[in-house]
Amino acid sequence: MINVRAAPARAAAFVKWRRLFGRADNPLVHGIARLPAKVRTKLLVSFLGIAVLLLLIALLGLRVLGQSNSRSESLKALEERAAGYQNLYTESTTFRDLLAYCAGGADVGKFLNGGRPAPGSTRDCLRSIDRTVGTALAGLGTATRLGFEPAADEAAIFGQIKGDYRALNGLVARITASSRPSLALHARAEVFADDLKIAAATLANRTQNKTDALVAQNRRAYSGSRNLFLGVGIGAIGLALLLGFVLSWSLIGPIQRIGGRLAAIASGDFSGHVDVPNRDELGDLGKNVNRMNDELRRLYRELEATSRHKSEFLANMSHELRTPLNAIIGFSQVLREKMFGEINQKQQEYLDDILSSGNHLLSLINDVLDLSKVEAGQVELEVATFSLREALERGIVMVRERATQNGVQLALESDPNVDLVEGDERRIRQVIFNLLSNAVKFTPAGGRVDVRYQQLNGELRIFVADTGPGIAPEDHERIFDEFHQTDEGAQQHEGTGLGLALSKRLVELHGGHIWVDSELGKGSTFVFTMPMGSA
Amino acid sequence: MAGDQILVVEDNEKNMKLFRDVLEATGYRLLEATTGEQAVDLAATHSPNLVLMDIQLPDIDGVEALGRLRGNERTASIPVVALTAQAMQDDRKRFLDAGFDGYISKPVDVVEFVKTVKEYLRKEPS
Repeated sequence: MINVRAAPARAAAFVKWRRLFGRADNPLVHGIARLPAKVRTKLLVSFLGIAVLLLLIALLGLRVLGQSNSRSESLKALEERAAGYQNLYTESTTFRDLLAYCAGGADVGKFLNGGRPAPGSTRDCLRSIDRTVGTALAGLGTATRLGFEPAADEAAIFGQIKGDYRALNGLVARITASSRPSLALHARAEVFADDLKIAAATLANRTQNKTDALVAQNRRAYSGSRNLFLGVGIGAIGLALLLGFVLSWSLIGPIQRIGGRLAAIASGDFSGHVDVPNRDELGDLGKNVNRMNDELRRLYRELEATSRHKSEFLANMSHELRTPLNAIIGFSQVLREKMFGEINQKQQEYLDDILSSGNHLLSLINDVLDLSKVEAGQVELEVATFSLREALERGIVMVRERATQNGVQLALESDPNVDLVEGDERRIRQVIFNLLSNAVKFTPAGGRVDVRYQQLNGELRIFVADTGPGIAPEDHERIFDEFHQTDEGAQQHEGTGLGLALSKRLVELHGGHIWVDSELGKGSTFVFTMPMGSA
Repeated sequence: MAGDQILVVEDNEKNMKLFRDVLEATGYRLLEATTGEQAVDLAATHSPNLVLMDIQLPDIDGVEALGRLRGNERTASIPVVALTAQAMQDDRKRFLDAGFDGYISKPVDVVEFVKTVKEYLRKEPS
């Protein structure tokens, strides 16, 4: 039956488990991050920790190796003993059998019957196989001289064996030496031989058991050691990985988050803060990033506010300054047009003066406001592709009347190959009109103003040349300053002195340059450049 | 046509006097408003032949007043010309996009002003 109530609990547990292996919320990662130690220290400690783990594994390995070595040595010793005792057993068995053979032949019956000893009697047997018995005895003797010290529990039995051997030695000597068969001696020899044989068997068995036990123990010990070693090895690897994981995430996590926040800041988003809980250099870094974020946001807002204020101010000024001029120019015009009655010569003259001053003032206001806008960075160019030739032609039309009045010839030299440029058409027309009206203004009667343009190095150059008085080299740059007027200009009491300053700003906004080629008495050529259109 | 009624919306006294004197001397009848709200009311009640509206007004600005005039079917078809001291290109575009039939720059050239008014009155569908 499905326990429905348990399902959400299981789900919650699963989520918790996942969080443990997740990165940011991991309590271990958080814990390491919160440690108030330098990053360098944390790294050093982790690497030292891993080095210690490696050392531990090495030491453990050495210990296991040593234990295995000593075990195999003790096994070898045991096997040696087992071999020795086995040898003893074998020799004693051989001797005993021989003894039995000699005693247990048909002669035994004859002997027991008290009959005369037949050929092959015990004594003869012992004698005839004397060498064999002797050899066996000698072999037994050699076997008793173990190449090792018997263990404590074996020493007693071994002592017994040695005693038996000595007795046997003596008995066999007496038997061989006597001329008569001696059953009693023989019987006693058999007893001792049996005793020795059993004792040897006991020792051999005992040692064999010990060997088996040790082998089993070794096998167990090996498994144990191997498991321990594997366990420690895996544990160490796990620890090292965990340490690496936790440490790196406590360092990388913040770095990634800071990187993300900085990218957001770079694209103008100051809305968030980065959360770096670390109490080390990364924590400081995070705090500073947040402070920078807030400071930038504040500056941005200030900048926006200031910019808004500036444009509001300029718009207001524009309105406020022009409003009184409505009355000045308007009413003067109304009177001048004789809409409310006739006016005499003098009144007309004065009205003209008022009107021209008013218009002058208006030009000044327009220019100053324009210049202020450009200076305040409030001017945005409306860039489009337009016809330069048309713009130049329109400029010429606008000054033609004045030129004719002054007796100045106007000419435009077009280049059929070049026409389209990219820029703010209205502003460029402003520049053209400024240069043309200056040219016409400063050229005496009978002179000429020539306009031409050409393409050079990927940009357009526009030339406005006049046959006026020219400009001294030291003034070539100054004329582009605000309110600078050459002596001639000042005398004519016209112009605002702002035209060239404004033209320069406007040309530069387009990425171009403006300058003058001129010498006193040789006229002036004003040149400005513009980027080519993408036609 | 002479006898046409023109609604002038202008908050500056002297400017209003100028427009009044010039237009009346030319033979037009005048309605005067000094705020946008006033203008909308007067337009609704009198249905003038032309509205000359200053953009910078004390209460609602000219663009909003225009919106209201266009919203009311009594006044929707009356030509409305903006009078503006802001003669920047982007502003001009803004006025035309907002729905003004035209604009006149301030300070006005009186002669041009009269010509322009005559033109707008002639264009007006009777």
